This record gives sequence, structure tokens and C-alpha cells, in this order.
Amino acid sequence: MAHAHSVKRHKGLMDWLTTVDHKKIAILYLLAGGLFFGIGGIEAVLIRLQLIKPMNDFVSAQTFNELITMHGTTMIFLGVMPVIFALMNAVIPLQIGARDVAFPFLNSLGFWTFLFGGLLLNLSWIMGGAPDAGWTSYTPLSTTTYSTTHGVDFYTVGLQIAGLGTLIGGINFLATIITMRAPGMSFMRMPMFTWTSFITSAMILFAFPAITVGLVLLSFDRILGANFFEVSNGGNPILWQHIFWIFGHPEVYILILPAFGVISEVIPTFARKRLFGYSSMVFATILIAFLGFMVWAHHMFTTGLGPVANALFSIATMLIAVPTGIKIFNWLFTMWGGQIRFTSPNLFAIGFIPTFVMGGVTGVMLASAPADFQFHDTYFVVAHFHYVIVGGLVSGLLAGLHYWWPKMFGRMLNETLGKLSFWFFIIGFHLTFFVQHFLGLMGMQRRVFTYLPNQGFDTLNMVSTIGAILMGIGILFFLINAIATAFKPKGVAADPWEDGRTLEWAIPSPPPEYNFKQTPLVRGIDALWKEKMAGNKGMTPAEPLGPIHMPSPTILPFVMSVGIFIAGLGFMFSKEDFSNSFMSLIFNNWIVVIIGLLITFGSMLLRSLYDDHGWHIEVEELEEEGVKA
Amino acid sequence: MTSADHQATHDVVKHSERHEGPQKHIIVFVLSIVLTAIAFAAVAAGGVNAAFTVLLLLVMAVIQVLVQMGYWMHLKDRGHMMPIIFMLGGFFVAGTAIVTALYWVWW
Amino acid sequence: MSATHAETVDGKLPHEPEKATLEGRNKVLSFWLFLGGEAVLFGTLFATFLALRNQTNEGPTANELFHFSTTAYATLILLVSSLTSVFAVQAMHRHKVTALRVWLMITVLLGLGFLGLEIYEFTDYVTAEKFGMTTSAFSSAFYTLVGFHGAHVAFGVLWISILIGQLFKKGLTVVTAPKVYVSAMYWHFIDVVWVFIFTVVYLLGKVG
Repeated sequence: MAHAHSVKRHKGLMDWLTTVDHKKIAILYLLAGGLFFGIGGIEAVLIRLQLIKPMNDFVSAQTFNELITMHGTTMIFLGVMPVIFALMNAVIPLQIGARDVAFPFLNSLGFWTFLFGGLLLNLSWIMGGAPDAGWTSYTPLSTTTYSTTHGVDFYTVGLQIAGLGTLIGGINFLATIITMRAPGMSFMRMPMFTWTSFITSAMILFAFPAITVGLVLLSFDRILGANFFEVSNGGNPILWQHIFWIFGHPEVYILILPAFGVISEVIPTFARKRLFGYSSMVFATILIAFLGFMVWAHHMFTTGLGPVANALFSIATMLIAVPTGIKIFNWLFTMWGGQIRFTSPNLFAIGFIPTFVMGGVTGVMLASAPADFQFHDTYFVVAHFHYVIVGGLVSGLLAGLHYWWPKMFGRMLNETLGKLSFWFFIIGFHLTFFVQHFLGLMGMQRRVFTYLPNQGFDTLNMVSTIGAILMGIGILFFLINAIATAFKPKGVAADPWEDGRTLEWAIPSPPPEYNFKQTPLVRGIDALWKEKMAGNKGMTPAEPLGPIHMPSPTILPFVMSVGIFIAGLGFMFSKEDFSNSFMSLIFNNWIVVIIGLLITFGSMLLRSLYDDHGWHIEVEELEEEGVKA
Repeated sequence: MTSADHQATHDVVKHSERHEGPQKHIIVFVLSIVLTAIAFAAVAAGGVNAAFTVLLLLVMAVIQVLVQMGYWMHLKDRGHMMPIIFMLGGFFVAGTAIVTALYWVWW
Repeated sequence: MSATHAETVDGKLPHEPEKATLEGRNKVLSFWLFLGGEAVLFGTLFATFLALRNQTNEGPTANELFHFSTTAYATLILLVSSLTSVFAVQAMHRHKVTALRVWLMITVLLGLGFLGLEIYEFTDYVTAEKFGMTTSAFSSAFYTLVGFHGAHVAFGVLWISILIGQLFKKGLTVVTAPKVYVSAMYWHFIDVVWVFIFTVVYLLGKVG
């Protein structure tokens, strides 16, 4: 072969640091997501322990502020985002019949940038105090006047870096889905998870630049003395709220749409029926995404936007119930008359539906501006968004993880442990958050670190804390399940649920690094199911067996992310008064920033100068593996 | 004429069509200069109704941007469906941010 | 996919070498996606500027600061550079590598000229007009918006310079062509943003 290039194959840790394989990057995302989800979960339990009884002094008020801020920030940006990206990486190339994503290098870069951003943010715990201005970091609370530690700087810089990684990932998946689909896989034949991930990626593309600017403004105010939010010099704190929510509201739909996609995969599989109303599902997804950009000011009703704006945003918000309702009914109609199997992924998926509906109903209540003046900043809001994000999104992700675990790892999760984890999770969840609706209606404010006794809050808070612990046990069961499964031998079938409908179930579990030996020909929605119904053994190949070109592993994405990390730290401490003269020399003169940027841009230059020729898997090798399988 | 010949002429025609000359781009350039000059002149002249000037400036800018994106960035060419969708999406979200800044930040 | 990294396709470079390979097409498409995101980035910066444009905190106002001539020169330079990068891409489509390199070099020089002018302008504001980042909300918004654009120009100058080097070393191939095409897109986009900057920041600043 003329194109045969020798390529260095790494082993062990170096293999993971240099991999550009989407399936391995999926596992990296899952590990990172698990780490941050664990940190955020511990923070949640600490919050609930503090609130278990009135006038508790388990943690101080300052620590409590740091805990709630880091819990929200970690869970949204660092906990569930990477798990979503883990599923997207593990599944999308397989579902569209591709050998890899459009940009394997960028895929790796996106992950490492995200990881180092998250690590930077969490370093705040050991470097002088975590951010304490809430996950929304509203000005002026988050300006240097009121937030004097470096906490908020860790927030702005850490999220900036992590957000860059997310944006890179989003663009990569858009390009992958647009250009890498197998022959016959038209847009309207794509599996729903691919569709929702596509729309989510588009929302990432349009929403994240807004928060990029917001974080730049806030960090310039805090570090360079700019006046964007400094009222005394002409700034305007409301501007932060607008920019934050122009990003922030789409962000919550960025989170939930992939969960909708997971549910739309799991329910048809275990009902042995095709998804009811496929095209209305697609339409509803697009409509939700569009409306998602049109409703941000419903977070700001009480700032005094005036009746016209409040009415507009109120109505726009209520409109979202329509496409969401379409989805709910479609799932119900899919199950209607199906041969439903209550496997653990399906339990999570079925549990998702009523829970999410409850969160949606309180959403419509909150959308009513006059009522929102009562609900605003109370536990009612806390209950609402936990219903959609935990009861909805996290349930969806757990459904997806149980469902695709055999595909990702080649091992089935234990069903008993899976069901235990479901029941603990769902009962614990409702115990925790259902009562919070009433706490909110009775007037308990969110973000308060304690409360006086005998206001009717005592019992409900106790119940809520007990629920949180049950939910924690549910997650622990999942963790135990994952670890125990890792010690079992590999070797599940290509289609372990036996009713797989989409392309990922047509190839071995876990798939070989080239995914498809021959690109499959897609003949309809639910491509694999269609072949099964036609009595075929597998997919019809769309190309003859030939050598497969693979991208080379590379350490550069890792190095680039380290560079950005160093530059971020340098920027944060550039105006710090150091007692150590060496530290003040390198930090106050921007030397650290310059070193970090040189590392990053230097790696970028190397990547540009030296073309990656990749390597080939030859036909003989493919045939040999075929014999083995 | 054999089919091969036909193919060859076809190729030549297609070739010359695709190798468009610089004329179009120079026209776009001149148009851009003119639009810019009108904008500068409107402001320099002063005295004109301020609201009219603002509108004129914005129209000049938008035309210039559309023409440049269409011709210089080839958005008017075939196969640019996705780029157009995503640029419109970007402009749409940017537009909401700008409308917000103008109407809902101060009161 | 096996031909993707060959120097040429079927032994000769196609008319549009940037679209000859899947990698090339992916690159062009994703760059468009990226520009969609950039539109939001600059849109939000414009929004910030528009919200704070009159918050001068008793410092200099837009009308006092801006000079027609500097803005006009900067606009002309950037507009011409956009045209030269069009010519660069046209030369690339005709496989005229020397012309391609020359047009790119002119583009880089014009970009440097623009940067010089901007640095001169900012220095003048800071020293002579006492108009710095911390002066007012208007000044912060001005420097951030125009500075972000300037940083984009600086990055573009570096990027295209490196590409010129690669064109000397590797010549025009299906690997280098998409890079040239994408950098030209980037450069046009910078020009498009500048059209809005000179309109919204400078000219509307003069109108008041």
C-alpha cells in the first residue's frame, strides 16, 4: 500500500492521553463527568445536611454559599454536560454509520479543554475559597466589592476554559452529523438521539459565545478594573443578567434535549414498536430549540422589565409546553399496545415521563409573571428546576447509560442492581423535591443557609434531607454496579437487548476501533430493525471491503489544554499582591499568561506544520478479525 | 461529434464558467467603497435628521455585509444551505442580544 | 477515504482543491459553523457596547474622541485586504501558487497596517485623551469590542503568515488548500465585523 505510514501505538496511560478514538473519548468524558458529578453530589448532600433542622450550624454561612454555588455550577457545567458528551461520543458515530467523528483531533481537544477548565474551577476549594455568588453569579454580588476572594475569578476563568471545550465539541458533532452519515441515512431517517444531539450542538454553538462574552466582561471588571457592571462608573448590573440568561436558558435546553433523545431510543426498543410520530418529534425538537432562545427574560420578571416585556416572555414561555407536550404524548403512544419490557433502562425512561411532566407543569406556573413575583427565589423554583434537571435529565442519562453500557464496555450491567438503583433514585428524588414546592409556597427562600424553627419548615426539610440520602444511595448502587461489571468478562452480543433498532446494534460490543468494517447502506428509519424485519442477518454494505484510514493518536490536545490552564491561572492572579518576589515577577508581568499561551499556540503551530497522514488498517487484518469473530 | 469531444467542450465551457474573472469582485469592492462613502458623507454632512442618518447608516452597512458575504464568501453559490442556516441562526441570536441591550437594559 | 491524504486527486489538483477531500469539505463547513458562533460573540459585544455607549462617567464621549480620518483609513485598508484575499482564493483556484502567495502577503501587510493604525489610535486615546479601560463603562465597552476585533486581526495576520510559509514548503495541495480557503473566510468575516464597527461605534458615535 502506498499510503502505509508507520504510526506509534501507545499503551496504558499514554494511550488514554493521546487517543482520538471517539469511543475512548466517550469513556474519558464519562470518567470526568462521574468525578464532577460525585463532587457536586457530595456538595448537595452537605447542603441538605445543613438544612436538616432549623438553626443548624453544620457549616458556616460562607461555606454554605460556596457549597450552593459550586453545587449548581459543577452539576450544570461539569457534571451532566460531560455525561451527555459521553453518550454523544459513544453513540452518534455508530448511529449514523460513521467510522469516527468529523474531527477526531478536535474531539480530543474539546475533552481536555473541558477537563482542565473543570479542574481549575474546583481548585478554588484549596486555593483560597470557592466562588460564592451563586451559580448565576449575579452582579454586583459577584464584583470585587462584595466577593473579595478569588472564588469568582475561578468561576469566570474555569467556566471560560470548560466552555471553550464544550463549544469545540458542539461544532464537531454538528459537522459529524451533517457530513458523515452513511449512504441512505437522510436527515429524516436519523435516530432521535442523533437528532436531539444535533439540535443541542446547534444550541451550544449559538449560546456559548454569549456566556463567553459575559465571563469576559465579568473577569475584566474584576481583574482589569473595567466598569461593565460598576454602577458608580456608569455600568449596569442588569446587563449581566441578560447576557447570562441569553446563554443560560438555552443551556438548560441544551441539557434536556439529549435526554429526550435517549428516552425516544429506549422506549421504542423496549416496547418493540417504532417511535410514534417521528417527524412531529423532530419538529418539536427544533421548535423547543427556537423557543429556548426566546424566553430568557422569564428569569428576570422581578427585575422590572415592564408589563410589555413580561407579557411577551410569559407567553413565549408557555408556548414551550406545546412541543414538549407533543413529545410526552408521542412517548405514551409509543408504549400504547407495545410489548413493554421493564428492564432497568426502560424503568428510568418510564420514570422520566411523569417526573418531567411535573417539572413542566411548575414551569408553566412560573411562566405566569404575576405569580412569579411570589415564587421568585423561593424553594418552589428550586423544586421546579430539580424536577426537570434531576428527575428529567439525570433520569434520562441513567436510562441512556444502562441502555448503551453493553455497547460502550462490552458488558451488561447487573439488572437487579440497576432496578435497585432506579427505585432508590426515584423515591429519594420525589421525597427530596416534592416537599420543596410546599416549602417555597410557604415562603422559604432559596440560598438561605438556615431558618428559624416553628415556621412549618422543620418537618418538610427533614423529609427532603432523608430523600436526598436515599437518592445518594441510588447513585451508589449504580456506582457499585459499574465497578462490579468492570470485573466481569467481556463478550456480550452485538445486540444484547435483542430488540435493537438502530445501527449501533449492528456491530460488535464494544465496536472495533474502525466501527464498521464496511459502511452500511441505510434503507429506512430504524435501519437495523428494517433489515431484521426483511429477514436479513445484518446490514447490507454500501462499499467493498477496503483498507480503512485511521487518524494518528496525538498528545497535542492535552498539551494545548495544559497551556490554556496555565494561562488562565496566570490571568487570574495577574493583579495579586504576592509577598514572594519571584511570584510577583512572573504573575504581575503576565509572564505566566505568556508561557501558557505559547504552549497552546506552539502546539497549534505544530499541528498545522506537520500533517497527520494517519495510518491504515489493511484488508487482510480486517478479514483476520472477521474470522476470529 | 463523439461523446468524448462533447465531454471535452463541455469541460471547457464549465471550466471558463467556473474560473470567473475578477470583475464581479471588483464590482463588489467598488460598491462597498460607495456604500461606505455614503455612510461617512451622511455623518460628515451633519444637519440631516438624526433618525434618518441612523437608518441610512444601518441600511448601508447591511447591504455591504450581505453583498460581501454573498460574493466574497460565496454564500450565494450552490451547496451553501447549511452555512446560510447557521449564519442566520447566529445573526438571529446576536440580534436578540442587541434588541435587549437597546430596550430592556435601562428603564 | 483512502485518497484523502494524497497530494493530489487522480494525479491532478482539482479546480476547487479546498473541496477535494472529505477533510477539506468538513473544514470549510465547520468553519462556517464557527463563524455562526462568532456572530453571536460579536453580537453580544455589540449589545454590551450599545447598552453602555452613553455611560461616559464624565470622561470623553464618542463624539469628542473619534476622528473621521483614522476610521476612514482603517476601513479602506481592511476593505482592500478583503479584496486581496478574494484574489488569493481566485489564484488558488487557477493553481497559480506564486500569485496566491503574493496576494496573501499583501493581505498580511494590509492587516499589519490596520493593526498599526489601531494601536496608534488606542495609544492616542489613553495618553492624550485620558481614556483608558477603567475610565467609564463606555470606555470598557469600547476597548473590549474594538479590542476583540483587533485581536482577531492579529490572529489572522499570524495565521496567514504561517500559511504563506507552508505554501513555500509544501506547495498547493489538497491539504494546504482548505487552510487557505478557510483563512480567507476568516479574513472576510473580520472585514464584515469591521463594517458594523465603523458604522455602529464610530459613525453612530459621531451622530450621537
